[in-house]
Amino acid sequence: MNNVKLGAFVLAGLFCLILLLYMIGKNRNMFGSNFILKSRFENVQGLKQGNNVRYAGIDVGTVKKVTIINDTLMEVIMIIDNKMKTVIHKNALVSIATDGLVGNKVVNISAVKQLAPLAQNGDILASKRPLDTDEMLKKLNNTNNDIGSVAEELKYTIQRINNSNALWSVLNEKGLPQNLKLSAINIRQATARAKDMANDLYAIVNDVKMGKGSIGSILTDTSFAYNLNEAVVKIKSVGDEADSLSRQISDAVSGIQRDVDSGKGTIHSLLKDSLLVIKLNKSLDNIQQGTDGFNQNMEALKHNFLFRGYFRRLEKQKIGIKKDQ
Amino acid sequence: MMITENKTILKDAVVKGDEPVMIIRNVYKSFENNHVLVDFNLDLYKGENVVVLGKSGSGKSVLIKCIVGLLKPDKGTIEVFGKNIPELNEAELDQVIARVGFLFQSNALYDSMTVRENLEFPLRRHWIKVTQEEVNTMVMNALEDVGLEHTVDMMPIELSGGMRKRIALARTLILKPDIILYDEPTTGLDPITGKEIIKLMVDIQKKYNTSSLIISHDMNCVRMASDRIVILLDGKCYANGTYAELKKNEDPKVKQFFE
Amino acid sequence: MAKATPLNSFLDQAGSLSKFSFRFLWQWFKPRYEGSEFLRQCYVIGYNSLPLIGLTGFIMGLVLTMQLRPSMIEYGVESQLPAIVGISVVREIGPVITALIFAGKIGSSIGAELGSMKVTEQIDAMQVSGTNPFKYLVVSRVLAATLMLPILVILSDAISLYGSYIGVNIRGNTSFNLFWTQVFDNLAFYDVLPAFIKTFFFGFAVGIIGCFKGYNSNKGTEGVGRSANSAVVVSSIMIFILDLLAVQITDVLGFN
Repeated sequence: MNNVKLGAFVLAGLFCLILLLYMIGKNRNMFGSNFILKSRFENVQGLKQGNNVRYAGIDVGTVKKVTIINDTLMEVIMIIDNKMKTVIHKNALVSIATDGLVGNKVVNISAVKQLAPLAQNGDILASKRPLDTDEMLKKLNNTNNDIGSVAEELKYTIQRINNSNALWSVLNEKGLPQNLKLSAINIRQATARAKDMANDLYAIVNDVKMGKGSIGSILTDTSFAYNLNEAVVKIKSVGDEADSLSRQISDAVSGIQRDVDSGKGTIHSLLKDSLLVIKLNKSLDNIQQGTDGFNQNMEALKHNFLFRGYFRRLEKQKIGIKKDQ
Repeated sequence: MMITENKTILKDAVVKGDEPVMIIRNVYKSFENNHVLVDFNLDLYKGENVVVLGKSGSGKSVLIKCIVGLLKPDKGTIEVFGKNIPELNEAELDQVIARVGFLFQSNALYDSMTVRENLEFPLRRHWIKVTQEEVNTMVMNALEDVGLEHTVDMMPIELSGGMRKRIALARTLILKPDIILYDEPTTGLDPITGKEIIKLMVDIQKKYNTSSLIISHDMNCVRMASDRIVILLDGKCYANGTYAELKKNEDPKVKQFFE
Repeated sequence: MAKATPLNSFLDQAGSLSKFSFRFLWQWFKPRYEGSEFLRQCYVIGYNSLPLIGLTGFIMGLVLTMQLRPSMIEYGVESQLPAIVGISVVREIGPVITALIFAGKIGSSIGAELGSMKVTEQIDAMQVSGTNPFKYLVVSRVLAATLMLPILVILSDAISLYGSYIGVNIRGNTSFNLFWTQVFDNLAFYDVLPAFIKTFFFGFAVGIIGCFKGYNSNKGTEGVGRSANSAVVVSSIMIFILDLLAVQITDVLGFN
């Protein structure tokens, strides 16, 4: 009788142990049929063997291995449940993300709308480049530098304009008022755009700070937010400066216009400094280039996967406002 | 007689008439600086009851533990049925010891076993090939010898001191030993029960013609059970003789035991 | 002989214990094998400990869950409660608490039993009865303790996780399936195996120390009590030391 009880006891223990090991093994896809998919990344961000693989948010497998192919390319080998063979297509995109706020790395496989044959065992799927905050900062820095040089030029010009009577000599040239007017309009447009973008960036920064949006969770790095903020402030100040310059020029232009119209010749002596003319032109060009460069950067930013959602939402809002109107 | 039964596994150790069954020669045993046995000698003949008399701590228990191999003497020989105990390996010792019964001072009944299991234990240990039926008869015979058949399914803890001593004796007898060693058989018993035990010892000795080595300082026991008395003093065999002889001895060291 | 300073007596004990352990390993491989006594000890040591181990395991799981809940809510990770409890029970608390209870129950009973057998000459009687008492008493008990504790720990883990399930459901609402899915999802082999392997050593420590203390018990009933007591104390300390070693080894081997 005692032996029966002992047997029951031992078997119960072994049963629990086997059950435990089986359940863990099952979660690691050690049993049952499965197939292999691969994907290649420049950077796997600490992805490890055993991390989950998800398709549209469902756990479908685990990472079997991460291997190095060469100095810039890593291969992630995934074990996927056989049931997914009829679901995952060859053109699916693979990306690496973080599970939750502080969770493990996960591999996300997401479908693409275009038609493609189903993925086979051993297929290499295309990867989406993971978001890289460093690169984003670099881009913003470029913008900063551009804007910075523009601002310097502007300042210089303004000083010259303010301090020197030479302006009047410039303005003696015929047809100049027209050019200046055009430039002023250009500047104004540029600054308006700059302002818009600055505002957009401000909004992003605020969103990030409040932890909203898809990037909110990732950008917990406050130094990043700080950098972004600074960039925005600089952009804004450039915009302001450009704004005031354009106003001054505009004033000057209207003044010259008046003088030219009334045929007064008091400025003739001043208009000989051709150097100034060139400089002024150059400054105006710089401003234009600067704002153009900024535009390009901004465009690039818009395409960046991180901010895409934000701009898309912004567009939707704008459309919504238009519809309302 | 049933003794012949266990002789079958010990063919080479035949006991002859007046030959000593046990010869102890020049045995030394000491614990650190305490010399317990110093050049001790003793013979035990067939069918003889020898009482070893001595003060507490004089090394009586050490002596019989050396005889059954529980302790190893530092020097000397202990021949039991012609085999020198200290030189035997485990299996050989086991064969010799199967013919030597040992009644422990504290009975040493296994608390976790019933009386029956206690009695079966040495049987199963020494002879693995006995049927359950044989075991049952032997158990009941041994209990009959001590008059406690009814306790067969009781636990030792349920028994009185005298009963436990008798059960322990039955366990010693179950192997039909040729030599029985008694370690203070009457200690811890009231005088009446003690006398009963001594009577039982003598009866059994007569019934099975065993040799006994009894360690005691109980003079009732000494008087009733002894054919011969050995006085153990300072690790030596100080005096040797019958009860009557030693009683008359004028040596003060002998006399102190008989007062 | 060296003087009986505390250090000396400690070293003496450690040396004797090591010798005793080697004697165990040596005797273990040699016939004759005490199979039925081993099974009997398995029953006594394993099966009979289950109610106590089960009860403590259940309470442990329940209390741990209820204690963790407020903090988990504070950090907004209440849903991770089964995972946290699962990992802590399987990796550490289950094995150690079970082993400590086991030491309290089995270590003391082995110590007291062998101690009283020693004192009342039962061990000598066994030897005279043609039995190697070391094999019969020590080997069977140590082996039984070594093999039974892992089983007890596994069962205790299961019971305490069930307790945790109840604890989760006192305030919250988690289905049985979801609870176990969460527990198993967060466990890996390297959580279970080192924890399982170390329980064999815990069991061995409890068995060998209990036997050592009992087998070397001094004369008298006081000695028996002291053997039982020090068997529990020493084996409890030993469990923690082994646990420390285990975590270091698994760390070095990279299973953490």
